[in-house]
Amino acid sequence: MGVIDPVIGFDGLEVRLGARTVLNGLTGELRGNAIGLLGPNGAGKSTLINTLLGFHSPSKGTAHVLGLDAYRDRARIRGAVGYMPENDSFIGNMTGVHFVRYMAELSGLPSAAALERAHEALFYVGLGEVRYRKVNSYSLGMKQLIKLAQALAHGPKLLILDEPTNGMDPIARQRMIQLVKDIRKEGSVRLLISSHLLRDIDETCDEVLILKDGRVAALCNIEAERRSNRSFMELETVGATEKFSVSVRGLGCECASFPDGRIKLVIPENIEVRDLYVIASEQGVQIRRMNQRRDSLEDIFLRAMESEAGRPTHVSA
Amino acid sequence: MSVHKNTYRAYTGPVTPLWMRVFVLARYGFAEAWSSKITITLFTLSLLPVIVFLVGIYLANNPIAQSLILKNSHRMLTVDASFFLGALQMQSWIALVLTAWITPRLISFDLADNALPILLSHPISRFGYLFGKFIAIFGSLSVVTWVPCLLLFVYQCYASTQPWAAANLSIAAGMFVGAIIWIGFLSILGLALSSWVKWRVVATAVIFGAVFVPAGVGAIVNAVLRTQWGLLLNIPVTMSVLWQRLLGAPEFLRRGSSLPTTAIVAVLVLACLLCLAMLNARIRAREVVRG
Repeated sequence: MGVIDPVIGFDGLEVRLGARTVLNGLTGELRGNAIGLLGPNGAGKSTLINTLLGFHSPSKGTAHVLGLDAYRDRARIRGAVGYMPENDSFIGNMTGVHFVRYMAELSGLPSAAALERAHEALFYVGLGEVRYRKVNSYSLGMKQLIKLAQALAHGPKLLILDEPTNGMDPIARQRMIQLVKDIRKEGSVRLLISSHLLRDIDETCDEVLILKDGRVAALCNIEAERRSNRSFMELETVGATEKFSVSVRGLGCECASFPDGRIKLVIPENIEVRDLYVIASEQGVQIRRMNQRRDSLEDIFLRAMESEAGRPTHVSA
Repeated sequence: MSVHKNTYRAYTGPVTPLWMRVFVLARYGFAEAWSSKITITLFTLSLLPVIVFLVGIYLANNPIAQSLILKNSHRMLTVDASFFLGALQMQSWIALVLTAWITPRLISFDLADNALPILLSHPISRFGYLFGKFIAIFGSLSVVTWVPCLLLFVYQCYASTQPWAAANLSIAAGMFVGAIIWIGFLSILGLALSSWVKWRVVATAVIFGAVFVPAGVGAIVNAVLRTQWGLLLNIPVTMSVLWQRLLGAPEFLRRGSSLPTTAIVAVLVLACLLCLAMLNARIRAREVVRG
């Protein structure tokens, strides 16, 4: 597989708003098809998105989007990006199709093509039947969907979604998540999704950037992280635990024994769980409980939050 | 919800050049401004004085009709700089009414629903956004100011039995420049005030207030300081003086005759700069909290 060009890159990015340093020395490259942006309130997520859209100029360092300088080339970036803001943002006295067409024309589509794409985008997100209603008559979920429709209408290369499931009921949320998954699967659009809901990021993203106090707290490939933790295992045994541990080490496992028969293992790829049962049977050890554990996004997030500020916990390309 | 399962497909068609985006804003601005019945009514009313002036030109150039209709009048109807000054003044004050109605529609809808983050996330700068809106209001005001005034001038050139146009071209130029200054000022003022007031009705009142309230302040300044410089705050007077001078009409406002043209222009420029500062502070994709 060839090397994927980074969607977003930072090099010592610092953004100051007044006297406050909101982003502080961000460095890294994001190459995923769907990138999650996580962090507690005030971590700098929205400022980062605004910087990527060219609304803020970096006080130090640079940020790149699709290989373009985020501030210098902001007009070209905005043409290639679809942005769905977190808060209500629309023109309420326009009909849905009129609004999406307007936004598509602003992105550079000729008038007729913009109208055609507006209809398509509205049907795609599920607002086809209400496209001639005024936007201010839409429900909260519909307003979220029309923001997505306008972000998609011009066929962006990068879709930036800021809290896409904000204020949605579970059914609407599931629909939005499914739409995001479909867009990701289609493959022509890369995604940057900012959310405070770990589950949304977990379901849709393959890479995650976690910010804390304006610094990179973690930048990791979620898939790779999961794979690396697939072989982590906890056992509760009864019997000759020490002898069992020695035999397991002989298989090439990393092993740590604890009182009360508890054993923690990291199993190499060539070892099956069945091999552990065989050894236990040979040595008369009972395995009372076996917990094969993988790191969830929540673990990664919590670890990032607990780590020393400014020191990324894990970086994987 | 739609019946069919729709799939997403990327757009691969042509894209318009960046500079065209300003005109997209202007076109949608026009559509918004003229979608209102009140705008259409105001525009229709703005044509009534033009018809009156048109009839005036016809009578002035037709001695038989003049003798039949104005037979008991000792005054001769003449078409000169004062005649066109009257037309320009009338149309200009109608333009103020139209500004107070249209500009809040252009800006307030965007601000009321916080549309700026979405609008400015497209390839359009803040300047481009404002310029697009400016074109929309400036174009709308042109239709009721310099365009009908110049059409009256053209009709007078056509109807006059004597060679008239060449000797009076300065009137046309004065009307054009005077109208452009006025509607340019009104457009910037209307956009600036509308950007700070979310409610359209209030914005309309504020625009009228911004034109007439300083006149009262100016009168107080004149009375307290025993000066004439307070007249610079009186926009109706300063604009009338400026139009008289541009058209070469005799100055009938004695109280404004002491005002130098450069002072009037300087006040207008300062007012425009203040409006631009207001727009710069307000038209942003995000509220920036400093400190």
